[in-house]
Amino acid sequence: MQALLSFDQAPPISVPLRFFLTAPLFAMLAGALLLWSGPDLFASRWTPEALALTHLITAGFMLQVMLGAMQQLLPVVAGANIARPRLIATLVHATITPGTLFLVAGFLTYQPWLFGCAVVFLGLGISIFVAATAFALHGVPANSPIILGLKLALAGLSVTVVFGLLLALALGWSFDLPLIQLANIHLGWGFVAWGCAALGAVGFVAVPMFQLTPDYPGWFGRSFAYSALGFVLLWTLAELAAWTMAASLLSVMVVLIAVVFALTTLRIQRRSKRVRPDPVQRFWQIAMFSALAACTLWLLARFSPLLEDWQGWPLLFGTLLLFGGFMSVIVGMLYKIVPFLVWLHLQHRGRGLLTAPNMKKVLAEVHISRQMVAHFTAFGLLVLASFWPQWFVYPAGLALMVANGWLLRNLLAAIQVYRGHLIKIEAVIASRQP
Amino acid sequence: MSKIREFMAGDHRRCDDIFAEVEVLVAEQDWVKAIAGFDIFQHAVLQHFSVEESLLFPAFEEQTGMRMGPTQVMRGEHAQMRELLEAARIALVAKDADDYSGNAETLLIMMQQHNMKEENVLYPMCDQHLSGQIDALLPKLETQIQATAE
Repeated sequence: MQALLSFDQAPPISVPLRFFLTAPLFAMLAGALLLWSGPDLFASRWTPEALALTHLITAGFMLQVMLGAMQQLLPVVAGANIARPRLIATLVHATITPGTLFLVAGFLTYQPWLFGCAVVFLGLGISIFVAATAFALHGVPANSPIILGLKLALAGLSVTVVFGLLLALALGWSFDLPLIQLANIHLGWGFVAWGCAALGAVGFVAVPMFQLTPDYPGWFGRSFAYSALGFVLLWTLAELAAWTMAASLLSVMVVLIAVVFALTTLRIQRRSKRVRPDPVQRFWQIAMFSALAACTLWLLARFSPLLEDWQGWPLLFGTLLLFGGFMSVIVGMLYKIVPFLVWLHLQHRGRGLLTAPNMKKVLAEVHISRQMVAHFTAFGLLVLASFWPQWFVYPAGLALMVANGWLLRNLLAAIQVYRGHLIKIEAVIASRQP
Repeated sequence: MSKIREFMAGDHRRCDDIFAEVEVLVAEQDWVKAIAGFDIFQHAVLQHFSVEESLLFPAFEEQTGMRMGPTQVMRGEHAQMRELLEAARIALVAKDADDYSGNAETLLIMMQQHNMKEENVLYPMCDQHLSGQIDALLPKLETQIQATAE
């Protein structure tokens, strides 16, 4: 219970920001990779370039932001302060960043030492993060869906990474392992037990909070994270035990978990009390539609041999889920979190001396809206590229670089406001000293 | 037993509802009604703070001996929200929809993350530590908060 007694300030602003600023750089690299590899990337989901691209987005973009956001979120929602937040953030950031680069380089070259470095760095970074958060959460009762969801999502992340490291070792040293099966399990854990569970936990709070919608239904809060983790676990066991029929049935259940989340979110969003949807609400809406499209595609491919034969469907599925789904929500969340943190820290520093600029003065909505158009343009071009790679891969790569360069620019503009205002606060303090 | 949590969280939702109503009025540029609505909102929020600061927090501090703990953090955040409420009100009176929306957005997030800390951490602690005096305390909280709701 110690954590509860000391719940206090948010961690220093540099703790989450370093993760948030690194993420768009990885997405820009993903754009560059598309330009470099050209249409060949879309030949199959197993091309080295497709694997590299996937991990630039999942480990480079999604993981960075999610880890940064969790360090910010845990003290707020659970009163769970991570001890020595700056040190932990530095260690985690300084390991997962090169770790992801090693992994991507490993996919592109198949050099064992690169996979080895990726295993060491990513394994170390995630272990430090999981240990630090587990320690902070130790003894915090899971008395709300978000705390429960985040705890289970952490377990989901750990299993995802363990399977990922195993695969990296197997690829680097040509171990005789059932790679496709393990890759699917790694994917199931990453998308559903980590991604969906974490998003479900955060969405449970953030959607009603930012969009003034009714709450998610009670059954959702009680059972979503358990169901996500439970079905993925059962499916994994069935897969490993080669119970084909059960595995097939359970995999459908796993996908339906994501469908339930998307449909529930869209349903409560329809009843938002906000007059006009702000850009962040749009990011969420399109993300949920895109996730639904991804799940529908997956179910169709499962039952239609015609679709299953098409090499492009897994790439379209990945595009819908990663770029349209996860990335859209994450970008939207950054636009709430970063301006708020800037205001919060400035308000704290300038208390009574200088009023902090409100969120829309930190980052004007017009910049968010414009970047949103760039983001969805890139997404649309990526969808087209999975049908007609030879025509659309270059515009998609370029658009992805532009959209994420713009995201980075917007985030840096907010930080510029932060720095500028700090100088003003210091000047006021200096002028008051005799 | 989560009586305090349920009751106080219910009052948070009531404040959210009034906030949303004002937002609609501002979007319609119905300034007179918007200002009147905002007054009701500001009054409801301030009354909620005052009930906490004068009744709930002292009871918690008395019982646990924790005077510099969570209640102190909550008092600090109340002060931050009082400033934002005032900034939003000034913008509204000046009929500056953009400035209002910036302050209101900031207030909304500040308010929601504050509510989350209270509902997930502080209120459950109150329910736990004040279980012996809940029958006397809860009616007082209800009376004071209902005084604003009517």
